[in-house]
Amino acid sequence: MSEKSVTTEEAAEQTAMKRVTDGITLGRVGLYATLIGLVGFYLLPIESGLVTSIKTPTGLDNTFPFLPPLDAGWITFEKWQVAFDYLAPGMVNSMLFTIPSTILCAILGSMAAYGLTLVDWRGQIAVLALFIAGIFVPYQAVIVPLFQFWSQYMQLGARLSFLWGLPLLEPHYATILELIITHTAYGIPIVTLLFRSQYKTMSNEMIEAARLDGASVWRVYRRIVLPLSIPMFAVVFIFQFTQIWNEFLFSLTIIGSTNDPAASATLILSGLGQSLEGTDYPLRMAGAFITALPTLLVYVLFADKFAEGVQT
Amino acid sequence: MAETQLDDVRKVFTETDGNEIVAVNDVSIDIEDGEFLVLVGPSGCGKSTTLRMIAGLETISDGDIRLDDRVINDVPAKDRDIAMVFQSYALYPHMTVRENMAFGLEESTDLSDDEIAARVEETAEMMGIDPLLDRKPEELSGGQQQRVALGRAIVREPAVFLMDEPLSNLDAKLRAQMRTELQQLQEQLETTTVYVTHDQTEAMTMGDRIAILNDGELQQVGTPLECYHEPANVFVADFIGEPAMNFFDVTRRDADGDGAVLVNETLEYTVSADISTAIGDRDDLVLGVRPEDISIERSEGDQRRADGHTVPASVTVVEPTGDENIVYLDLGADRSERIIATIDGMSQVEAGDRVVVHVPEDAVHVFDGETNEALHNRRVESNEPRVPNV
Amino acid sequence: MKRFLLLLRSIRRTQGEGPESERTSGERRVMTDGGTSEKRSTFQRWLDSDIVQSAPFWLPPFLLMGFFVYAAIGWNFLLSLTEYSGFGDPDYSNLGLQNYWAMLDDPGMWAATRNTFVLLVGFTVVCLIVGLLLALLLDREIRFSRSFRTIYLLPFALSFIVTAQFWRWMYNVNNGIINQFIGVFGLGPYSWLGSPKLVLGAVIFALVWQFSGYTMIIYLAALRSIPNDQYEAARADGASTVRMYWRVIIPQLRPAMVSATVTLVLFALKAFDFLYATFDGYRPRRGADILATKMVRESFGRSEWAYGSSIALMLFVLSLGVITPYLYNQYKRGNL
Repeated sequence: MSEKSVTTEEAAEQTAMKRVTDGITLGRVGLYATLIGLVGFYLLPIESGLVTSIKTPTGLDNTFPFLPPLDAGWITFEKWQVAFDYLAPGMVNSMLFTIPSTILCAILGSMAAYGLTLVDWRGQIAVLALFIAGIFVPYQAVIVPLFQFWSQYMQLGARLSFLWGLPLLEPHYATILELIITHTAYGIPIVTLLFRSQYKTMSNEMIEAARLDGASVWRVYRRIVLPLSIPMFAVVFIFQFTQIWNEFLFSLTIIGSTNDPAASATLILSGLGQSLEGTDYPLRMAGAFITALPTLLVYVLFADKFAEGVQT
Repeated sequence: MAETQLDDVRKVFTETDGNEIVAVNDVSIDIEDGEFLVLVGPSGCGKSTTLRMIAGLETISDGDIRLDDRVINDVPAKDRDIAMVFQSYALYPHMTVRENMAFGLEESTDLSDDEIAARVEETAEMMGIDPLLDRKPEELSGGQQQRVALGRAIVREPAVFLMDEPLSNLDAKLRAQMRTELQQLQEQLETTTVYVTHDQTEAMTMGDRIAILNDGELQQVGTPLECYHEPANVFVADFIGEPAMNFFDVTRRDADGDGAVLVNETLEYTVSADISTAIGDRDDLVLGVRPEDISIERSEGDQRRADGHTVPASVTVVEPTGDENIVYLDLGADRSERIIATIDGMSQVEAGDRVVVHVPEDAVHVFDGETNEALHNRRVESNEPRVPNV
Repeated sequence: MKRFLLLLRSIRRTQGEGPESERTSGERRVMTDGGTSEKRSTFQRWLDSDIVQSAPFWLPPFLLMGFFVYAAIGWNFLLSLTEYSGFGDPDYSNLGLQNYWAMLDDPGMWAATRNTFVLLVGFTVVCLIVGLLLALLLDREIRFSRSFRTIYLLPFALSFIVTAQFWRWMYNVNNGIINQFIGVFGLGPYSWLGSPKLVLGAVIFALVWQFSGYTMIIYLAALRSIPNDQYEAARADGASTVRMYWRVIIPQLRPAMVSATVTLVLFALKAFDFLYATFDGYRPRRGADILATKMVRESFGRSEWAYGSSIALMLFVLSLGVITPYLYNQYKRGNL
């Protein structure tokens, strides 16, 4: 904008223009300074955690918390090793329930959105309203019945006991299965909304053309809608994976104990490094990073898709 | 190929607040086998709804739609053996042209892959789109997409083609070209076609017959020339023809002999016995005359010819279009009526000219002012039909 | 609640609709279809109707979600009417409102409610403002603007359990960064997470750090959808940058603000993970206990299941108070 006006202005006004241009440049500098300052604000807690996680107790006492250990002798990766030993089973468990429920959520959500958006019938707005309201229901409002349902009524561990003799299957997989079902059920509303936001923009005439071409409701989904929703599937996978991985309340109540063989990564992290002498911060920081690693990785690789999921 | 009948077809939409809107009101049309029928009318007249009911995309509130005497009201769209071309073309964006064309055959027939491939190739060749077969819709121009959409309908060899304003997204030149092409194609395929448009030029030039709809009601079904020369009512007379027919609200006054005079504040128009008989004793009337039937004569002062078919006027605007001039005139001393005439492009008329307008009696239409129904239409020399001016 | 019941009723109506429309169309058929060749049974036609055809798609997810969400809420309500505590099974034979009366006499309940509202208002307002400023900063031609956006949104992608670890370290009394920073100005050190006066503010600050990126994204999406002409038109009218934003751009962000507010308020209502991880369990420091933590503590810490359920229902009603107007508004605008 400023450049354009400089080229069109008269030479006599150059002095006045110069001041304006300088002002804008100064403004740009201020803008970038602010933006970089904000980067500092958002990254400082994370950066501080990272440098702390590799400090020895001496290093911890002798450096500012946000500075890296300045002496090579103050660096140790022992805490990472310890944290990893604690968290590794939890990471496996978290993967075991996060991936299946993410996939189930995406499939069921896409189907629900299709049935509620592209096939027109009366009353679908009411059903849809129930789906959307489901996004906002606080988990506290269902957590006691949920706990009752799994622990008193279903008792999957006992019911499926015939399975645990099979190779590769272990009794704590019952809890994992409970978590898969639970996360799927509570993930469906938001995923349905995400898919619906895309399906609403799909050309109605195209769906009608496919139906006139002889395709049944199912075939329209299979051959037209599904191939066209692949980008949205990517968004949903990334968003939902992060959400389920990060979740804590269900882990806490359904799994119950940090020592349970089915304990998730977030659950183990919540109890990591607690002792009577106080909190072992380097260990906690290392644990936090290990727990966050899958989500961090996904986020760094697919930040745009994540943002797209957040926007809807 | 099939005969299609609409029998008192009605469509009522219920809005969320409980209001009922009649979109299509008891429409009956018999579409003959191989006929090209154009449904035309202003937007919101129910033409698209009618088409979508034939397609099976809207339920029918009342009445029957028959395909070869078989009621298809409850047959789902996918089983109706109907192909439709949409305004937006509605191509499947993730499929190539080849896949787009094959889709319908895969879904609705038991043909083998080889047979499908052969039919797609054959149709693509006929449509001149065979070089595009492996492209995706986004790589095609609007005109090419339009062709693919047509090809996709044709390859299925359906009983009926339905087209919903298929040319309206094309630019003017391409539209004119496609109009001709589509007509030739339909003649060649001899497939019953129902074509919806709001553009009367398309209606007049393409249809074997046209059906004119307004406010959900069928106004008239007939050949383009019938609708042009013998409009059933004021709406049809007004809708068909460009520039539109001139109308004057008049009352009847008895004249010498069997004739009558149609009068209003600026106009006194003498009609002979047969028109007078057609009018009967109705008093509230509308006199109509097409712009191209009006002739303009230079005048000196305010003179009228003795036959009572002339009226003095002054020219307000002249719009030359090349082969003809569209002349806007104010009638009468107080210039309260406006009339449009189209005259030969070579004649010299300028704004401000005082002229005499001559309206020949065999070119006038008379309508009932209350019901808007036609009472008398212009005389048509059957051996030499006039080319309608659209 | 009333709205919810209405919804439920309309669902039932929808489900009853199938056979009903089948009957009316059957009658019509008798009237108009005088012996034509095509005879399709009413059952066949019912099978072809869109509601039946689409049911395999939405019904299974709906049943799964409906059971876990709506049936569970109903069950929760039932539990809140019992005296269920400790081990064993709830006794559903003797139902009453005693838990709700007990809430009125519970001083902890009042404190938790007060804290919930402070958190809700403070957190939501600050988040909306910070997010708006971030969005306005980024909504211009900036190099690396996507990288900035990615960094600001990063905390939102992390688990509360993870971010709580970071903030415990930030707020640490002896060598936390916050105390070291204000020490430069000769202040402190303060026990941020220990003092009842400071703890809620400290929690809000940390949550704003985590959520402001989210609000920014919502605002940015809205800003991007404003056509460029409007900026240019405002400039051509001679409006200064500040006035242009204030008069032309910000008013158009209202819908984005409303939807962000709903999400933030609902989060503030159920914020539990962060507090649990910050205070190593169900018992936050005095001054930081909110309804969400109290609910989980009463149920899972003290096994007062029925009492916990009644607090949960309060939370649900509070959420409904936010969701219902929002959904209704969205429905009115045709955004659903």
